[in-house]
Amino acid sequence: MTNTDDILTVSGLNVAYGESKALFDIAMDVRACQVVACVGRNGAGKSTLLKSIAGFLKPTSGTIISDGASLVGMSAFAVAGKGIKYIPQDKKVFSDLTVQENLELGSYASQDYDWAPVFDYFPKLKILIDRKAGHLSGGERQMLMIGRAILGGPKLLLVDEPTEGLAPSIVMHLRDVFKELAKKTALVVVEQNLPLVCAIADKVYALKEGRIMAELTGRASITPEACEQYL
Amino acid sequence: MAAMSFVRWWWGLLLAFALVALVRVFLPLPFANEIIIFSIYTMGCNYLLGRIGLISFGQPAYLAVGAYAAAFYLFYFGNNPYVGILIGIAAGFLVSLAIGPLFVRLRGDYFALVNLALSVIIFYLMQKVLAGITHGDNGLWFLTNLASTPVLDLSRPDQFFIFGFLVAFVIWAFFKYLDDSIFGACCLATKLNEDKVKFLGYSSFNIRLTAFVIANTTTALAGAMYAVYLGFVSPEITSPARAADPVVVTILGGVGTLYGPLVGSIVYTGMKDVLSKVFGNWELVIGFVLVFIMLAGEKGIWGSLQPLLEKMVLRVTGKTAERGGSGQ
Amino acid sequence: MISMQLLTSGVIFGLSLGSIFFLMTIGLSLCFGLMRIISLDQLLYYSVGAYITFSVSALLGNIWLGVLAGAIVAGASALVVERIVFRRIYDRDLPFTMITSFGVLIGGVGVIKYFWGLVPRPVGEPIVARVDILGTDIPVYRLVIVAIAALVYIGIWLFLNRTIIGKAIRAGTEDVEHVEGLGINVYRLFTITFVIAGALSGLAGGLYAPLIMVDPNMGLDVLAFVFMVVIIGGLGSIKGTLISSFLVGQVVSIGSLVYAPLAQMAPFAIMLLILLIKPTGLFGSQMLKR
Repeated sequence: MTNTDDILTVSGLNVAYGESKALFDIAMDVRACQVVACVGRNGAGKSTLLKSIAGFLKPTSGTIISDGASLVGMSAFAVAGKGIKYIPQDKKVFSDLTVQENLELGSYASQDYDWAPVFDYFPKLKILIDRKAGHLSGGERQMLMIGRAILGGPKLLLVDEPTEGLAPSIVMHLRDVFKELAKKTALVVVEQNLPLVCAIADKVYALKEGRIMAELTGRASITPEACEQYL
Repeated sequence: MAAMSFVRWWWGLLLAFALVALVRVFLPLPFANEIIIFSIYTMGCNYLLGRIGLISFGQPAYLAVGAYAAAFYLFYFGNNPYVGILIGIAAGFLVSLAIGPLFVRLRGDYFALVNLALSVIIFYLMQKVLAGITHGDNGLWFLTNLASTPVLDLSRPDQFFIFGFLVAFVIWAFFKYLDDSIFGACCLATKLNEDKVKFLGYSSFNIRLTAFVIANTTTALAGAMYAVYLGFVSPEITSPARAADPVVVTILGGVGTLYGPLVGSIVYTGMKDVLSKVFGNWELVIGFVLVFIMLAGEKGIWGSLQPLLEKMVLRVTGKTAERGGSGQ
Repeated sequence: MISMQLLTSGVIFGLSLGSIFFLMTIGLSLCFGLMRIISLDQLLYYSVGAYITFSVSALLGNIWLGVLAGAIVAGASALVVERIVFRRIYDRDLPFTMITSFGVLIGGVGVIKYFWGLVPRPVGEPIVARVDILGTDIPVYRLVIVAIAALVYIGIWLFLNRTIIGKAIRAGTEDVEHVEGLGINVYRLFTITFVIAGALSGLAGGLYAPLIMVDPNMGLDVLAFVFMVVIIGGLGSIKGTLISSFLVGQVVSIGSLVYAPLAQMAPFAIMLLILLIKPTGLFGSQMLKR
């Protein structure tokens, strides 16, 4: 069942917040350099899924395997240390620290001090390097969060609603960045913006009320209409 | 039907107090009296922590308010212990009503610290600032001042026990009643989600204030009872080293459980008597016990026993599972 | 009125007292900021620092060595407590950790009583020289305490702003989950912060020991002041802690010159007043994550 190309295999995953269950028997797999999108309404469990993979939530049952090792029960920092980086939805950078210090923390965590790729993707960050991160705009914060996460060349990025509340031009920019990133790393993107999903995704999981309702594979089958019917 | 639910409502209470009466038969009187007063003392802390989610390290402050109010009356003005206790209650009520509005606005962490500071300040106040009235560390002695009262003579320990027993019973019934009332539901809701309570149209401030005043008046009552029972009050009652006493007992018994304070008081007072005789180092024992309990699980003794007991009762009576309204 | 001389010595006294408060509360503040715990057991490390200072200086005859040993042993005991106790309960509610830390404090006082007994112990003053300031005779040692506190402040500032660990601690104060998400072992940050806090509390105890008698309840004696400082300054704010330490130091010192009971009552009154205006203290943040 487990494909050797898979860098992430989730099966039978159940997650609960106290008494209330949030995810039911989730099964998914992600291959190297694949862009996987999760779509679904608010409360469908998309963010819960990402947080569980990233180690912030402890599943009640099920397995999460990456490169032959189980991630269940690992601390979040250890998961990140394995090259699986989670970029949360809240666009909260460390506002009291400068852009440079934010990047330094990413470098410290991954022991990768080469910032050139970050500035290639986001030249704007170079200009803002001494700015306090708290003074950045929403789009710039998102850039910083992605920039921070790609240091160390992660094998999988878990991105939670990256374009929520951002201007269309920045969404376009991020779309190009994701396409570029996908050449080297796999992505799991939770996204409400269906045109963006269709532009970048190789595979789509549609979630509803904590269950995977459908799996769309192949560029041809991923259309806004196809995604829409599961929302 | 109504009678049945009434019986179920009360059986735990009756059983608990039958236990206390039994304790009285087997254990020395001072121990039994200590338990009674201590459990009333803890009731307030238990209510604040278990129902409102406010942890108060300052309960000794309110204990001292009740104790000193009663002591001032009994030392300087009168000799009727009942009046002394009433004055203690009134003082506790007024003080908590006066500072409540300021305190209950605070976030939980600040609330805990400010109460702790209050209890230390009252300690200084009684020990140094008001030394002229309170006789400082020597304390106020008025045991011989106490007049014999008709019906229950509070100056006699055995009759005091009966009085304390009755008072504790009334307090318990009162808190049980609170738990089952709308107010009790509001308290719990405030603990869980303050914003939603506001949306429902209740003032979380008023709920907290009311709970604060009820809890601290109860504590002051315990203080006044201490004063009358011991015939003596000194600043020691609110010393910083004892700030955690009610919190410890609350945790020992299980936070928010109705019988927790009683169980906790029995265990705590027993430990204090036995262990400090054996080890002679009270702090060491209580500190380690507390840390151990916290690491082992925060349910406490009663909290851990309760599900077991319920299961046993269910098996005996063979009824279908319906958890009794014991307040968990 | 108070004479000029009394006032000068009062201000210096207040400064040194404020320095001691600052050393004790900065650790509390850091711990609250990063781990969201109220570590009442810092008062224990304060006593440990003082007792080790007493024992080592009695043994070696050098009080400075004693203070150093005090800070080190206090930091080491903090490390042990963190590993055994706090490591297990970081993700619990704040009241929970607070009660636990009180248990550690009380238990630790018991341990101290076991080793050193109940008798208060004296520690000699390492510097007996006095200096003339504005016509007032001032013990140099008090000025040294102020200088050490200033050095510690600079050191902490450099640590937080110039080292990567310090930056990670600052970031964690804002949002510890994001720091963890980057792949940084936050539990190591917690340990480092806790040990620094314990060592600074121990340093405070060691430095203060020559000015007071060392006794098992000394931690509980300063408890009220420490918490008034923390509340006035605002939990988790280092700037607030600094300002309110010296404010409370001065109020205690000057207040006791005017009318002795003011030493205890005035800071309390100020605390109530500030809470009335701002319920989270001078520099405390309104929001509390976790």
